[in-house]
Amino acid sequence: MKFVDEFRDAELGRVVAGEILAAVEPGRHYKFMEVCGGHTHSIYKYGIDDLLPANVELVHGPGCPVCVIPMGRVDDGIALAHQDGVIFTCFGDMMRVPGSDGSLLDAKAAGADVRMVYSPLDALRIAKQNPDRQVVFFAIGFETTAPSTALTLKRARAERVANFSCMCSHVTIVPPLRALLESPDLRLDGFIGPGHVSTIVGARPFEFIPADYGKPVVIAGFEPLDILHAISMILRQLATGRCEVENQYTRVVPYEGNLRALEVMAEVFELRPHFEWRGLGFISHSGLKLSDAYADLDAEQRFAVPGLRVADPKACQCGEVLKGVIKPWECKVFGTACTPERPIGTCMVSSEGACAAYYNFGRFAREREVV
Amino acid sequence: MSVCDGGHCVTCSDEAVSMTVLRVDARRGLALCTDRSGVRSTVEIALVEPVTAGDELLVHAGTAIAAAAKAPRQ
Repeated sequence: MKFVDEFRDAELGRVVAGEILAAVEPGRHYKFMEVCGGHTHSIYKYGIDDLLPANVELVHGPGCPVCVIPMGRVDDGIALAHQDGVIFTCFGDMMRVPGSDGSLLDAKAAGADVRMVYSPLDALRIAKQNPDRQVVFFAIGFETTAPSTALTLKRARAERVANFSCMCSHVTIVPPLRALLESPDLRLDGFIGPGHVSTIVGARPFEFIPADYGKPVVIAGFEPLDILHAISMILRQLATGRCEVENQYTRVVPYEGNLRALEVMAEVFELRPHFEWRGLGFISHSGLKLSDAYADLDAEQRFAVPGLRVADPKACQCGEVLKGVIKPWECKVFGTACTPERPIGTCMVSSEGACAAYYNFGRFAREREVV
Repeated sequence: MSVCDGGHCVTCSDEAVSMTVLRVDARRGLALCTDRSGVRSTVEIALVEPVTAGDELLVHAGTAIAAAAKAPRQ
């Protein structure tokens, strides 16, 4: 298959690792942020950290749309799930995110009808199969996933599925990146750009990063060679004094994005004035809600939700991890009070969260280093 | 570990799976596709139309977000 096998070639990986080694300046420390949770997962799964020289450090960014859902929003979902006759559908990782009094999985165990789906089409099918029940789809994800929700809502309208509605918690990638870049305690030299978000939005939205902040961006695929190649490309930009957006994932990402996806998103969604991000606070125009034209399919208008803001747990340092200020193992509760089985913060809930990825894959490499 | 299949969540990882088109329902904008392990699923194709049987698509959360390769034409 064209996306996978060629980009996992170990021999080629060693060649690119050699290029990286040749491109680094001795004595200079580089910090690159990978924005997307999928990149974090690949980095740990394939041991890409081990192939990099010691002075090239990868910092995990806020690319996990599950990780950043605040507790109050989870509570809203749980409240909806407990309503009579509701079938509450969501993606798998969302079920484990802790609210102020348990997760959606806990609500399911307590009798709420919460069902895991792999796509919003699955949720629509459940609605058609259960015409006497209200089916709510908890929509999460960045711009990669938002078009899927938008197309399903259009389909629900066209097929007159009146018992289907959506609780929209989609987020957009640019505002949190800008918020991170504005943080005084963040020091980065470049970004590995999100590969699949870019298939939808294209490369253009990231041009503000080199233009306004002077940092190179390379949009990368998810195979190990893609990531190594992107790191090599960033280093070459720094070495030659260039600063621009480059596209390593040209086999998939068009510069202008997917126009049909952008059109359907513009039709179905509008930007919320602000949206709360776990650990990052409120960020303007960073979340999506259904447009007025689709208000009849908006679960938050069809049902009453608490809409309360709940503070992050005091022990939780997810915000600092999400900003790349501290590493997972530097969090006071990492691996002790906070584990994948009993997560306090959402960085540990999702397998793509920085803490879970490190807990499951990275700590063994660190133990080897210490020894 | 994660409740999700394969130990990671399709949303959080922004995972997109390579799938091959078996059959197209152009009227409804859907295609029956199979992944490399043989699992079949219905995929929304509005973002990548037109598609034909044999095409390879990149699928995320049940929607094709890019077309990888077109089937060889007879």
